[in-house]
Amino acid sequence: MQRIRYCNFAWGKCLAGLALLGILSGWAGAAELRVPATLEAGQSFSIPAEGTGQATFYLLGPDHVVKRRVTLGSDLAIQSSDVRAAGRYRAILCSSSCSSAVFQVEAAKPAHLSFFLHPSRVPVSTPQSIDATAFVFDQYFNLVLTPAVVDFRVTPASGAGFLRQSSTRRGVAWMRLDSTPHEGRVQVSAVAANTEEARVIQQVAAEACGLRMRALPSGNVVTLETDPVRDCSGNALPDGTVVSFTKVDREGKSTVDTPIKKGVARVQFSLHGPAQMGVACGVVLGNEVALNGKL
Amino acid sequence: MTSFAHLALACKKFSPRFLKVAGFAVAICALAAAQSLPQVHLDASGLAPRPIEELTGTTIARHYALAWRELAGALESGRAEGLNEEFVGLAKDRLVRRIGEQKQVGVHVRIVDHGHQLKAVFYSADGSAMQLLDQAQLEIQIFDGNKLIDSQNAPQQYMVLMTPGADRWYVRDLEEVSAKTF
Repeated sequence: MQRIRYCNFAWGKCLAGLALLGILSGWAGAAELRVPATLEAGQSFSIPAEGTGQATFYLLGPDHVVKRRVTLGSDLAIQSSDVRAAGRYRAILCSSSCSSAVFQVEAAKPAHLSFFLHPSRVPVSTPQSIDATAFVFDQYFNLVLTPAVVDFRVTPASGAGFLRQSSTRRGVAWMRLDSTPHEGRVQVSAVAANTEEARVIQQVAAEACGLRMRALPSGNVVTLETDPVRDCSGNALPDGTVVSFTKVDREGKSTVDTPIKKGVARVQFSLHGPAQMGVACGVVLGNEVALNGKL
Repeated sequence: MTSFAHLALACKKFSPRFLKVAGFAVAICALAAAQSLPQVHLDASGLAPRPIEELTGTTIARHYALAWRELAGALESGRAEGLNEEFVGLAKDRLVRRIGEQKQVGVHVRIVDHGHQLKAVFYSADGSAMQLLDQAQLEIQIFDGNKLIDSQNAPQQYMVLMTPGADRWYVRDLEEVSAKTF
């Protein structure tokens, strides 16, 4: 009853004074802002603004600034469009002085993928030769930093495809994939939640395998011709791949580089006595042929 | 009053030419201070899936520092033109929008940059993107007109995505994140 004794000399004046004090403190002091610590991007909410009178409210975010006059004592509505960008926001309320609060907006659910596939051409049956990287974004293109599952689906033009699963770390999922055994177009897709991004790479034949040539002599000229040049999986090396033929005879050593045309490489040499001939393609050596006036 | 009198007397002793030169020197110093780059220290240890080349590391640190200088300048002046040099894509779009809106409502932001501890956490195998985490020491003051309405001086964390261009690395995404991301 102590506080009544202070006031009992004039109840009316005391209460009026207290009320005035309350109004003044609400009007003159900085109203405290209570904001959620974190919220999802694009989620509307409201901030209770205590006190009475008018104030100026500011909201500063990564891509948006709001300034408006507000009436204290009512909630400050924050629209979903005000908080679309993920990041840190600062809410400031100024009347005679200012108070502020900080909140974090985090990305919403995965909605977009940014997908990189490297390289665009890859030899068949090569382990760890395809690099797939996916960045996961929400509908407002904020990087989704919470872990999300990304499926990498490999679908070759022929043969069976396969699927590898990865989880994002800080919004990024990456994986090294093996190329499949058959040449041709291969589609690689990244799939997260309900979104899918596809890229296409071209698988090409690997190094030549079992490279063989035959010699067709005619007078003092010999034509060297390879069998169809294929890799170890049976894929034909593309036309334009260079094959090197070498001849060593009395005149010395001659080398001719010639591209594969219609699957085979062909070259003509003039002969000066007995000759030794060889063939190579890239790092692969083929058979050797010796000519001593006869095959 | 005596000291003022002494100061006035001392100033009279200097020739106008000396004062002009001194003024120019002060202006140069102020310009140099304004254009000085914030300190950026890059840690790329344990980077995957591709290791970083030394030259790439130097370039990234330099352009990240340039990006922060341009960002601070743009937030204070309300002019977004300088951002074109160091920012692209989402980061640029967002900053340009923010600076435009700041200018519209009469707000500007002053950043005193005490440096960045940058850690590279992801470098794509084809070298087309690098993700970094930045522990920045910034003093940020927010003004409405000339009135200071808020200030903060605490470590801040940023998630950064940089991509290479013809002659530099650009900031493609810059997002302030909570400390738990580190």
